[in-house]
Parts: sequence; C-alpha cells; structure tokens
Amino acid sequence: MKHDDEVVTQQLSAQEWLFSFRAMASPCEIRLEHAARSAAAAAVDLAICEVRRIEKKYSRYLHDSIVSRINAGAGQQEPIRVDDETAQLIDFALALHHESGGLFDITSGVLRRVWDFKQEKVATQTELEALLPLVDSSLIEWDGQRFRLAERGMEIDFGGFGKEYAADRAAATLQSNGIVHGFVNFGGDLRAVGPRVSGDPWSIGIQHPRETNGTIAAIEIAEGALATSGDYERFFERDGMRYCHLLNPRSGQPVRHWQSISVVAPVCTAAGALATIAMLKEIDAVDFLEQQQCGYLAIRNDGERFSKNVAATSNSGG
Amino acid sequence: MVVTDREHHSAHDAASVPPDRLARRTAFSGLGSITAAALALPGVIASVASAQVAPLEEGVVALKVHAYEDRQPGLTRIRAISPSLYIGVPVASAWSFEATITHDDVSGATPRWHSAISSASKMGDHRTATTATVTRSFERWSIAAGGAYSSEQDYRSRAGSLELRVASEDNNRTWSFAVAHTDDDIFPTNRAVRRATRRTDEFGVGVTQNWTKSDVVQLSITHAQGRGYYNDPYKILDIRPSERDQSTVSVRWNHSMGASGDALRTSWRFYRDTFGIRAHTLDLAYAKFVNDQWTFTPSVRYHTQSAADFYYDPVYDAQIGEPFPVGNPTFSSPDHRLSAFGALTLGARADWRIDSRWSADFKLEFYEQRGAWRLGGGGSPGLAPLKATIAQIGITRRF
Repeated sequence: MKHDDEVVTQQLSAQEWLFSFRAMASPCEIRLEHAARSAAAAAVDLAICEVRRIEKKYSRYLHDSIVSRINAGAGQQEPIRVDDETAQLIDFALALHHESGGLFDITSGVLRRVWDFKQEKVATQTELEALLPLVDSSLIEWDGQRFRLAERGMEIDFGGFGKEYAADRAAATLQSNGIVHGFVNFGGDLRAVGPRVSGDPWSIGIQHPRETNGTIAAIEIAEGALATSGDYERFFERDGMRYCHLLNPRSGQPVRHWQSISVVAPVCTAAGALATIAMLKEIDAVDFLEQQQCGYLAIRNDGERFSKNVAATSNSGG
Repeated sequence: MVVTDREHHSAHDAASVPPDRLARRTAFSGLGSITAAALALPGVIASVASAQVAPLEEGVVALKVHAYEDRQPGLTRIRAISPSLYIGVPVASAWSFEATITHDDVSGATPRWHSAISSASKMGDHRTATTATVTRSFERWSIAAGGAYSSEQDYRSRAGSLELRVASEDNNRTWSFAVAHTDDDIFPTNRAVRRATRRTDEFGVGVTQNWTKSDVVQLSITHAQGRGYYNDPYKILDIRPSERDQSTVSVRWNHSMGASGDALRTSWRFYRDTFGIRAHTLDLAYAKFVNDQWTFTPSVRYHTQSAADFYYDPVYDAQIGEPFPVGNPTFSSPDHRLSAFGALTLGARADWRIDSRWSADFKLEFYEQRGAWRLGGGGSPGLAPLKATIAQIGITRRF
C-alpha cells in the first residue's frame, strides 16, 4: 500500500513530468512541462505542502482541525472565532448556499449517518426526518469572525469545495514558483497551470458515467479549470434504483436527473461548486449553468448531452 | 421521488450572509456570481508581483569581490578591488533587515591631463560604504527605510531613503514611490576648498506590471535636485555650476522563454541633466538555462551621450600646447565623463547553483568608450579610447 506522504515522480518525455500522490482521500497528480527536473520538483514540493496544510486544517477527521472545533461547539453558547482564510471560505460556502437557492449546504454532511454507500444501505424516511432538522444553514450564526452552530448535533464540512480550493492554491503556488506549463488534477478536479510548451491546450478525458474504464469526451483546457460531478462516483443500485452520494439537503434523497456534469471555469473552486450545484438543481441545471456563464458538458440520465463553450471532442458510445 | 422545494429555504439567506459581503462577492461583471465568489478566495490566483512586497523568506549572506581596471593606449590607470558583504535576514514574519558593507581599494597612476577621472588623481585611496534597510511588509504593501554612509579620506556621504510599495488587488501590478536625501561633504587634501557640501533630494515613482504570464514590464521615473559643490577640486580649470537637476525615465521588459527556463531582459534608459547632458542607455541580456546547476547570461550594453554645456575639448594646440577652455567661461571642465561619447559593454555572467543552500556567480565585462561611437557622430574629439575590464566573483549562502 502506498504511504500517504509518498510522491511518485515519472518522466514522461525530455521535459515532461508527472508527480503522483494521495491527498484528501483522492489520487492526485501534478503534470508539468519544465526543463529542469529539480526546479519542477522543488515547486511541486511547495505545492504539495500547501495541499497538506489545507487538508490538515479543514479535515473533519482530525479532532483539532478548525472544522472539528466548530462541530464540537454545536449547540454551545460560545461561538468559535476563526482565522481570515476560514472566514473567507465560510463566506464562500454561504454565498454558494444563497446562489444555489439553498441546495448547496455545508451542514448536509450529517445525512451520511443514515446513508451508507459502502454497506449499500438506503436511509428510511423515519431516519431522514430525524436528521433533516439539523441540515439547515439558517441555523448558522456568523458575523464574519465568529461562527456558531445553533443546534446540538449539527455538523459542517468543507468537502464540497476543499479539494478544489487545494487544487487552485497548488496551481497558484506552482505559477508563483516559475512553473508555467502543466496542470493539477486532484481526483478529477483539475486546474491548469498553463498550456503545453507548444502553446497547445491539454486534452482532458471526461470519465464515462456508465463505463468504468471509458471516457465520454475530451475537453481541451489551456488555462482555467475543469471539474466533474457525477452519479457514478459513489453509488449503489437497489431494486433497479440508483442511489448516488449527491443528496438533496431538503429531502435527504439522492439526485437522479444527470449522470454527470462537467464545468469549465476560471478556477477549480468555482468549477467544482458549479458542477455540484448543477447536479443538485436536477431539471433546472442547464438554466442555472447558463445564468452562471460557464462552459459545461452535461450528460442526462437518458444519455442525452447538453454542452456550451467547451472545446470537447466526443468519444463514440455516449 | 425527489422534490425540488423552492419555498422554504431562501428566507434565511439574508440573515446568514451580511448583504454587503454578498454584494462584494457578486459585484464582478461578465462572470457568474459563483465564479466571482471563488475568484475572491485567497490564493487561488497566482501572484507573481506579490513577491515584490513580500518579506524575505530566508536569510541570505553573500560575499562578492569586484575588480575594476581601466586603461588607455599604453597606460594602465586605475585599479580597484572592492569586496562587499550582503546580509539579509527575515525578522519575525513581516519584518526584514538588509545590510551591505563595501570596501574599495583604489590605486591609480597619475592621470593623463586630457582624460581625467577625478578619483584617479588621488593615489591609493580607501573607501568604506555601508547601507542598511529595514522593511515592514503588509498584505498588499511594504515600506522600507534605509540609510547609507560612505567615507574616504577627502569625502563623506550620508543618505536616508524611504520607499513605499503597493500591490494591486490582483497582485499583477506594483507601484513604488521613493524619496531620498543625501548629504555629501568634500574636504580636498589640497585645500582647494576647506570643506564643501552638496545636498541632493531625490524622488522616484515606478510601476511594474505582469503583462502576461511570461512578460513583465516596468516603467520608472526619477528626479534628483542637487545643490552645492560639483567641481573637481584637484583641477584648476574644473569649475561647474552649483546646481544639478537630473531626470531619468527607464523602461524595462523581461520575457521568459517558456519551459526552457531561459529569459530575455531588456531595458532602455533616458537621462538628462541641467549640465546639458542627454544620454540613452540600452541593455540586452539573455539568461540561458544550461542545466539544473548552471545559467549563463551574455549581455550587451550601449550608452551614448551628449557633452555638458561647459565641457571643453582637450585638444592639444600646436602653439598653445595643453588644452585650455576657450575664452573666459564661467564654467568649464575637461572631465571625460562630461564629454560626448558612445560606450559599449560586452559581458557574460555564469550562475552556479551548487545545492539548495549554496550558489556562486562569476561575471566578466569589457567596457570601451570612444568619442566616435556616439550615436549619429559628433562625439568629443581628442579623447583617447578608454577601456575597462570588470570582474566579479560571488558566493551566496541561504539559511
């Protein structure tokens, strides 16, 4: 088994490098074109340090992380004072809640207590009714510095954008350290550092939502970011019904309208949030993506494709 | 069955996020509100320029030895050896301290009358110069206060400076504003004057813009006003105005050549002063990345200037003999640096990155100055070509 801190370096061509490691429970890759291996590796080290910092700071599994401290304080009198970076991420999360009409909710993680995608357990209505009162961002008290969850048992997590934020910060770290050709790929959420040396864009395969080893299209990006949200990432089937991990925060039920939605945006944090919200929007997804002025490729549950402003080449199959 | 309930969730939003915060996040035009909000997150966009307001991240000690020798046909005139020590240390997280000490040992032959460098007229001089700067960095700006002190046998100089740097919101642009004041005291060994002074005030403004990912351009303007003693006390006929205003405009463009790691650095500088000198200087350097350890940088510089209004040509006259200013002018000087000439510098520098802590650099430059090389002709006659060799070796340790 690969150790968590291990970084594997591969030379793909004379000046093309692939650095692979695990972070945030995902396989992560940094692919670069740069003449000097040592300079590339030094920049990648800094980028990975940044990723580990974010992972540690916002992990809900580490009891001393800021997220764990906030959750431990749920229902208590005293609010938790947070640092500037966390404050900005909280602002961002609440902006997403607002812009999504309440569908993006950082308090929805408690639903994991009754949905078990490993054990393939369907949550019962009784279980959901007991938990849904805790899924409510309006119970967040926030003045820009101090954060409090009003009800005991409430929880927040930054899982909805933490990995994408780390990808952006890693890419920016690489750019600040002289790397101008490459991309960062954290579990399928991708941020370009810059085009290939030749000036050509990177061609990124989009996972086929129904064929584990297939791609459904390739999207070209030279700058900006690409993220995909799909019903194939964590799911199980029971009695002909597909249950995926994307849960509507009000019903507590999995969404079913789309197989996958890929979004192209200037930064990965935006692309990831847009893709997730679009999945949660179900039938309103295309209107929402249009209004948000991003590029997208959406595959409906019947295989029909909708796309705009993505340089995509379709693979056969679809 | 999944129901998209639109009623019960939006009531609380206004309470969750203060309205001004939302307004700030959605104020961008041409971007979706969510993209705009993501772009406002800290550190998701690279900031190359932020390095310019950032404090030192590690300590640096650098020792350099600079050697200079110039000559005219058949004559070696001046040799100077200048070791210097640079120390930069971060103090706490937002403060840094930098200092340099330079010592010059100058030895020179008696200068030839018609191509005098004023400092060359003094044999075996020593000069020690010290500078120190303290910088305080904030998120988008920094302020630096500096002092400098230099002394030699017949000369003392003290200077203070203040510089403010401000980075733009997107960190792609940096402004700098600087003021400096210098007090110079001159006490010639020949007692031409007992003690003369000169005061100079300097103002500068500059802007650095990251144009594209590979291009950085910089524009800077400086203006200096000097009042006091400018003469060469060791020359009878060297009488200069007691005011000198100097202005420069310079434009710099650095272009990185992509994955090779190579970089092209160019600059043009225009200079004018109230002595009547107008000068243009063009610099071109190409940093060639050889491998992980070595970078090789050839460079070329061309300088052309007009003469000061009161400069007189050191042309020997068959009857009169030694050059002499014509008529009875108020001001006159035969200092070759005030003449009209063109000069070319060819140089090469090698940087050796020994490991992550140690690095070394080597530089060699050849300089030649001739009246005839002035752009468009019209250079001052009668000056023997001046050639100089400059060598530098340095070693740097980071810790």
